[in-house]
Amino acid sequence: MSISLTPWLVLACPLVGMLTIALLGKKLSPRAAGTIGTLAIALAFVFAVLTLIKLQALPSNARVETTSLWDLVNVDGVKIQLGLYVDPLSTFMILVVTGVSTLIHLYSAGYMQTDEGYVRYFAYLNFFVFSMLLLVLAGNLVLLIIGWAFVGAASYMLVSYWYRRDTATAAGIKAFVINVIGDIGLVLGTLFLFKTMGVLDYGQLFSGAHTAFEKDAPELVIAMLLILVGAFAKSAQIPFQTWLPDAMEGPTPVSSLIHAATMVTAGVYLIGRLHVLFEWAPTAAAVGAIVGALTLLIAGSIGLVMTDLKRVIAYSTMSQIGYMIMGVSAAAYVGGFFHMMSHAFFKALLFMAAGSVISAMGGNQSLNNMSGFRKAMPFTFACFLAGGFALSAFPLFSGFFSKDTLLFEVGARGGWYWALYVAGYVGAAFTVFYTWRMIFRAFWGEPCKEAQVVIDTGHAYHPAEHTNPHTGDEDDPSTQEVEDSEVGFPGKEHKYAETTWQMRYAMIPLAILAVIAGVIQLPFGVTNVISDFLQPTFADTIVEYMPDNSGLEAFGLLISSVIAIVSLACAYWIWVRKPGTSAAIQARLPWLHKLFINKWYFDDFYSIFVVRPVVWIGQWASDSFERVVINGAIIGGTSGLVKAGSAAVRAIQTGMIRSYAALVIGGLSIVLLYFLVRGL
Amino acid sequence: MSMPLASTVPAAPYIDWAGLSPLLALLGGAIIVLIVGLAGPRGIRTKLVPLLSLATFGVALGCVIALWGQNLVLIEDALQLDPLTLILMLVICGGGVVAVLLAWRDQAAEEIAHGEFFALMLLASAGMFVLVSSRDIVMTFVGLELLSLPLYILCASRVREERSLESGLKYLIIGSVGSATVLYGFALLYGATGQTGYSDIASAISSNGLATDPLFLTAVAMCTVGFAFKASLAPFHQWTPDVYEGAPTPVTAFMSVATKAAAFGVIIRLFDVALRPAIEAWRPIWIAIALITMVVGNVGALRQPSMKRMLAYSSVAQAGYVLVGFVLVTDLGVQAICSYLILYSFGNLAAFAVVIARERETGEGDNISALRGLGTSRPALAIAMTISMLSLAGIPATAGFMGKLRLVEAAAAGDYAWLVAVLVVLSVISLAYYLPVVATMWRGETQPGTDAASGVPVLAGGAPEADATGARAGWELTAVAVLLAAAVIVFGIIPQPVFNLVASAARGLGLS
Repeated sequence: MSISLTPWLVLACPLVGMLTIALLGKKLSPRAAGTIGTLAIALAFVFAVLTLIKLQALPSNARVETTSLWDLVNVDGVKIQLGLYVDPLSTFMILVVTGVSTLIHLYSAGYMQTDEGYVRYFAYLNFFVFSMLLLVLAGNLVLLIIGWAFVGAASYMLVSYWYRRDTATAAGIKAFVINVIGDIGLVLGTLFLFKTMGVLDYGQLFSGAHTAFEKDAPELVIAMLLILVGAFAKSAQIPFQTWLPDAMEGPTPVSSLIHAATMVTAGVYLIGRLHVLFEWAPTAAAVGAIVGALTLLIAGSIGLVMTDLKRVIAYSTMSQIGYMIMGVSAAAYVGGFFHMMSHAFFKALLFMAAGSVISAMGGNQSLNNMSGFRKAMPFTFACFLAGGFALSAFPLFSGFFSKDTLLFEVGARGGWYWALYVAGYVGAAFTVFYTWRMIFRAFWGEPCKEAQVVIDTGHAYHPAEHTNPHTGDEDDPSTQEVEDSEVGFPGKEHKYAETTWQMRYAMIPLAILAVIAGVIQLPFGVTNVISDFLQPTFADTIVEYMPDNSGLEAFGLLISSVIAIVSLACAYWIWVRKPGTSAAIQARLPWLHKLFINKWYFDDFYSIFVVRPVVWIGQWASDSFERVVINGAIIGGTSGLVKAGSAAVRAIQTGMIRSYAALVIGGLSIVLLYFLVRGL
Repeated sequence: MSMPLASTVPAAPYIDWAGLSPLLALLGGAIIVLIVGLAGPRGIRTKLVPLLSLATFGVALGCVIALWGQNLVLIEDALQLDPLTLILMLVICGGGVVAVLLAWRDQAAEEIAHGEFFALMLLASAGMFVLVSSRDIVMTFVGLELLSLPLYILCASRVREERSLESGLKYLIIGSVGSATVLYGFALLYGATGQTGYSDIASAISSNGLATDPLFLTAVAMCTVGFAFKASLAPFHQWTPDVYEGAPTPVTAFMSVATKAAAFGVIIRLFDVALRPAIEAWRPIWIAIALITMVVGNVGALRQPSMKRMLAYSSVAQAGYVLVGFVLVTDLGVQAICSYLILYSFGNLAAFAVVIARERETGEGDNISALRGLGTSRPALAIAMTISMLSLAGIPATAGFMGKLRLVEAAAAGDYAWLVAVLVVLSVISLAYYLPVVATMWRGETQPGTDAASGVPVLAGGAPEADATGARAGWELTAVAVLLAAAVIVFGIIPQPVFNLVASAARGLGLS
């Protein structure tokens, strides 16, 4: 198999899987659908590995392969091919996407076993992976936009998967709308590039950028800023971040798939992919880096106070993606993608473990109700711990090395990048606090009644009535909307890792990777797997680093270790040794808590300044545009509206024609006037 | 060749009969259909007549294909058969084939007799041929009227239904205003230039420096308004929703594809050839019309409970997108228009096929509530409708996306990127009226008695449960919808054949 074939097979597997599941539909048994879905992605992973092997066989200065099936457009020198671009970066991405997705599919096969929509679920899931792979492998900006739009559509379908929950459909629509705003940015940015350069292929874009534009030329900066809007919307960066926490409405494996491992990394990939253009437009790149830094701080601070377990992890995702966006925008490519990889491992793992806990809680997601799961669910606890250590960048865990590589590379830029460097370490302290707050509250202490049920019976707790945790008071299920157990929460039977082998086998490899994945890229050049592998893609970088930074690297590692250990000790003190401390802090600083718990008021801001005006305009359009302007003003007074009976109808109709004709004449007069005035 | 009319006595005009064959086929077919329609047995009227009409469109299509790639003068300088004519005839005859299938069992054909109904449709198509091939303002006007008059009658062909009669009457009166405007414009144009042939007009403008002449500019203004009306471009579109809604749906479908193609054909030829030297005078006004049309179409389509009204506004919006290609006045722009007209017609016709099917099956008319629960009851129709809505909205991997892509690309190459920005933003707004249709079909069960979109009770005689037992709408509707939807997907993934088809579109126009 040649390298021009394997990437197509990577794409074909999930597509075929999706079509098979969708077309056979209800004829498939749930088990068969899960198996087909999982195998399709596993096969894609195999082909991704083959692609890697073939790519590595090429000489390192020629590791770019473009392959195309046919021309989508081939007119007057403009050529848009249905083509793929295989280089170390896209290969790296497909490996991570297919690898982690395979495990998530496997986990889903257990977790969603008794859900009524099981078959539909796997069709969506495969479609999602297909879209993401298309986005990553696309050989030109048009194909990238197609994949980009598909990912948005797939996320809508998956977030609204439990469609009888009004909160879920609302969240899906929100995700879709914000994604579409990003799509507009991406399309317009592409258009600006095309207008000047006349090409859309990556190869031609990269080689022609330096001649087509001056460095930091305004047109290029505008184009790249528009493209950044697309990246921010997909990666949930400020100010487009509000959809991500709401998207936790989807089933937990979906959160794991689209909000940790794949979708949100699309923006990071896009910036890395177009790094030649971003480096040539440093103003735009700086905007990206600053927005990433702001996001990592703001999202981290919100994560400190959220009480919904999944939302804490969601804000953590947003914050970690902030690191990556900051990193790749500041030309910290190795660190950015290294962190993306280790984040994919430990975040998918954390979501899986959280799903297991939520199952055992009977669907309740509030940290206020959880405690003492350490003894009830030892396996889940161990996995959560592995993920938690990695996320909080505890020394020697994968997140430690990846975050430090990233921050080191940012710091090595010198100058004002030092501010970003410091922000990164402040965010690191936030990370430790929210991670361990989650762990201490859910797993330490006396077992709550749900945990006791697990210890006593070996089965998950089942509430008498299922309720939607996103309605009413999140701590008190009796205030929440009652819902049909078959669509609201996975099935009649709740599955958790200790009793479900698919979930367990999906979590084990991720737990191992979360712990040890750091060894492939160790500091001081001890191991260089990622930097060597990505080197051909980023060989053309024109960014300059400070000379001699080994001191900085050592300093970063030291600071990072201190932050991780000291913050962990503080967290232990606050939540385990002196459980009243956090309430006391909250009482001392109520305004800060209020700001964080209201998510820095972004949602309210949008509601007042965007959503309400738009709704109002829509209402106005339907009320006045049609009824008043056309039927009222044009018909000749609103009196016609109230008249009834056939005579009146006829009267309106003749009036209407006369007024239509009058409009034609009126329009004609205007056009005529224009021509004559212009001609004189 | 053409001189001032008064002194021209063409002794033996040159006529290319082979080149005229599509026109002859349509006219001959119309006469045969009309005569056969007089036959007594009902079976002949209801089966043979549509079949003959189908055959006529088929023969005309065959002639078009046989003439493909040629560039012929048909009748002296009056008619010209060039690639643009052939491409548009392909759209028109293709639209005709689909319209005949849609109208086959329609109440409208029943009410004014099958012979008349289908003969009028063929005559209108003949008018479209004259219109898109004319190179002389006299022939243009003949074509315009030959196209319009049958359509007035077709709109009113459900003679027992008030809405349809009203639609026909309204179209007639307003259409006459439009025609009169065009005619007045042509008269002034002749007055200003002393010529009737397109190329003669063009040379008269440049040699006499007429581009700023008030008489000439008045003529251009009137032509602009008249044709903007015919192509239902805002602000001259007001008749469109009313007429589309009231006319029998197969006629609406035919108009939305064929009439639109013909109108753009003549606009391109008149402005890009005859009035080309005055381009600086008319381009700004057409840009303004394009902007207004895109905005009005997309805003008007929001929250329309009537599918036909929604599709009417949608077609106004689509016409606005096509204008973006027109104002460029480049070879690429004309190609983009032609590919857009072809690619857009698939999704558009599929949508109408589904609307007709539901009209016949539910008794709820074209209200969006007729589509409720279609996903479970008629999955084939629901899938076709979903694809067509996605295509109209321009979602990737559909034909509609590729059509828009060509327009975007042509506009960017022609230095009108800002127009594209408007187009992109407005097509995103269009999701707000296309996607609810999709949601309605796949969500939930029918709620009898009320229209969920507006909460208004369904009109008398529209109780769905009473009609639920009614026969299915006919296999041909499902077949048309599914085939067209398949075409949407195929050309959304492999669009190059269409692009190759239209590659020579502007060859007869002399554009750069």
